Amino acid sequence: MTVLLELRNGTKTYRGVPAVKDVTFTLEEGEVHALLGENGAGKSTLTKMLAGVVQPSAGEILLDGKTVDLPNPSDALRRGIAMVYQETSLVPSLTVAQNIYLTDDKHFHRLRGIYIAGQQFLQSLNFHVDPTALVSSLGAGQKQMVEIARAVHHNARVIIFDEPTATLTPEEKHQFFSLVERLRKRGVSIVFISHALEEALQISDRITVMRDGEHVITDRTANFDREKIVRAMVGRTLSDELYGAHAERKVRRAGEKVLSVQNLSMNNIVRNTSFSIFAGQITGMFGLIGSGRTEAAKVIAGVMKRDFFHGGQVRLFGRPVRYRVPRPAVRDGIIYVTEDRKLEGFFETMSIAENIHLGALAGGQTKSWTVSIREMKAIAQHWSEALSVRALDNDTRVIELSGGNQQKVVVAKALVQKPRLVIFDEPTRGVDVGAIAEIHQLINRLADDGVAVLVISSYLPEILQISDRILVCRQGRIVEEFEGRKADEHTIMYAAVH
Amino acid sequence: MIGAVLRAIDNLTGRGDAAVTVPALDGALRPNRRLDEARTRWPLPGVDAIAVLFGSPVASAGTTLYRLADGTAWQPWRKFNDRIACIAAIGDEGLAVVLDTGDIFIEGGSSEGRSYRVPEGLRCITAIATSPTAIFLANGSATNPAPDWQLDLMQRNASGSIWRIDRVSGKSQRLADGLAWPAGLALDGDTIVVSEAWKHRLARLPLTGGEPVAVHSDLPGYPGRLAPAEDGGAWLAIFAPRCQLVEFVLRERAYKTRMIAEVPRPFWIAPSLRSGRSFYEPLQGGSVKQLGLLKPWAPTLSAGLCVRLDRGFQPTASLHSRADGTTHGVTDMAEHQGRIFFAASGDGVVVACDAGTGEEGSLL
Repeated sequence: MTVLLELRNGTKTYRGVPAVKDVTFTLEEGEVHALLGENGAGKSTLTKMLAGVVQPSAGEILLDGKTVDLPNPSDALRRGIAMVYQETSLVPSLTVAQNIYLTDDKHFHRLRGIYIAGQQFLQSLNFHVDPTALVSSLGAGQKQMVEIARAVHHNARVIIFDEPTATLTPEEKHQFFSLVERLRKRGVSIVFISHALEEALQISDRITVMRDGEHVITDRTANFDREKIVRAMVGRTLSDELYGAHAERKVRRAGEKVLSVQNLSMNNIVRNTSFSIFAGQITGMFGLIGSGRTEAAKVIAGVMKRDFFHGGQVRLFGRPVRYRVPRPAVRDGIIYVTEDRKLEGFFETMSIAENIHLGALAGGQTKSWTVSIREMKAIAQHWSEALSVRALDNDTRVIELSGGNQQKVVVAKALVQKPRLVIFDEPTRGVDVGAIAEIHQLINRLADDGVAVLVISSYLPEILQISDRILVCRQGRIVEEFEGRKADEHTIMYAAVH
Repeated sequence: MIGAVLRAIDNLTGRGDAAVTVPALDGALRPNRRLDEARTRWPLPGVDAIAVLFGSPVASAGTTLYRLADGTAWQPWRKFNDRIACIAAIGDEGLAVVLDTGDIFIEGGSSEGRSYRVPEGLRCITAIATSPTAIFLANGSATNPAPDWQLDLMQRNASGSIWRIDRVSGKSQRLADGLAWPAGLALDGDTIVVSEAWKHRLARLPLTGGEPVAVHSDLPGYPGRLAPAEDGGAWLAIFAPRCQLVEFVLRERAYKTRMIAEVPRPFWIAPSLRSGRSFYEPLQGGSVKQLGLLKPWAPTLSAGLCVRLDRGFQPTASLHSRADGTTHGVTDMAEHQGRIFFAASGDGVVVACDAGTGEEGSLL
């Protein structure tokens, strides 16, 4: 196959610190090339160089064998290189169709015209998105679809997908893979960044693994297996197999009933749902996006309010509780670890220490009435060590950390409050495999210490691996319960969709 | 005044005591079909209580005691003039049989022929427990006899009591009263654990009497008799499930009053030992689909449920007969040498299964 795009000996440094070191990356015509690595491995920086978002400090980019200069993304797009970002780059106040046709040459569009064209175009991609809908009203999965549609619309020869499936439902993922297949047949080359190794093995022709900004290995996908990829990514064999050993794991017995949710209702999202959470046990909650899992958890934690009339009951240790704000829930020992850590999990411009200390303040764990810097540092030091947060020091701003370490800070901020019930919502979304294992070990430790743990996840292998019992949520209510050891992916998915 | 206003708000919004909610059958109470899958079944219409005497099951139905002598069918063993309220084995001494009249007879052992008498006025004995020195009795209600348990629930009474009868002197002592239909007793050291059906809880009180303290509350059904488990802990019969429709009716005073006055009892919106036999019975639409199973024929007013409790009286496992099952209304159980016998009063059958051997229908 002919090489379409190449980064030759590319290096990118930020303030003297290399993010990508002397990496050569080739993309062949009509291939799907998976780019894998832990958070902070340099994948995003490499692809940003290819998409003209950042310029290499050294090295060159070759398109069709000729050296090209890509000073900005629009220039790259003109040359047929499009990038679909993990955090979407759409204009939220414009409609779907307006976003798709935003950078077209015309100065003015007839709205009716672009809506009709948009409708036909989206249908051709099998995307069920209303072209007249405001982007701000869309869910994460639908925004991702619009991003992809926009890239396809610009007839890109190279499309770079950064974690495209992280926010998609299994059904949407299936559609996405079909789309990738169609693009490949049309000769479009695709770079595919993902933390889901199974997806990379399933969809790609070649795989490149990076670690610490350096190129580790590139080979045909057929020559890889999961173990080999993980070893290349983390430079070690993970002592605890991430997923797949759940059958041998001993299931913890339930302790005291900590939480009893009875006929809880919230609008049409949570519908008369009932379930219990027990101490010393990890309860996994699986459901497709929109099944009301997160909303039920948020009502429990006081982030959202249940229906005013006949909204049901939540009992904590047998006592009915009703939280209008999270603060009393936190005081009662209920902690909700959000799925959207960047928006709701931490203050990105504050340091690790300040963020963790905020958790201590919220939980009333501090000794003094005023903020004690010494106490703050001591608390941060303790939790950074306990959770192995990797940073220069605890004064590092959280925004400068990798996704996995950011998540550990969010978890530390939660655990410092000495919870009795912890609700983890998608605890390993956008987190690399090394950090996933550490976060799972942490969750297991919590359950072993007698804390009641609820883990909400859309990723079935994670649910199967970590849960002692599994609740399946569909259309706003719990529809099935499985013992963790006896469940399998097929049965759970069947319960979730039927 | 403030309390009345708050209650009015609660009634309007369905909060607090006015919340029409039922806890989930999950965790250790996760539904299964173990009672229906038990292969050993002995029909006995009207069966209510069961005990094991000298290794052989003994069951009561109406006024008659039955023995499973040859292991194949029930044989009448003793007949009494009044309905048998409850029974309990007292080791080698024999079987204590309590009648609705308040007479207690010891049958079939070394103490054969001994008798006791419950205090005057107690006409609703629901459960019995024995120790070497005393007999403990639960009186479900001060106003209604035991067969009128649905009426007592609808009236939301809390007039039950626990009594101790000295086996030497025959003197009786009230240990607690004001209980909401105490229906089961289990001795635990120097305390006694009581199941309070209408409060859906297990409570503990000292053998010398006192205020009951909740051990396990907010059960998803109406707890009935307790029986000791051989390796510690206990078995709890839950004779009917709770459902939102009944919870709602219990809060509607005017509706209840008219229903009691005008509607024949089999067609009340009330928990039942067996329902679903007539399509005139009320059917709760919301219960048609539960836990992912579509049950168009299934009102949830009755079911079969028995719970294994650990030494702390917390549920560890359960056996169920689902809405379409054939082992509804479990009112009593007895364990003997790893084998458990359940009296399903609703369907008039005694079923048995092994605990922890892996046999079909076994518990673990």
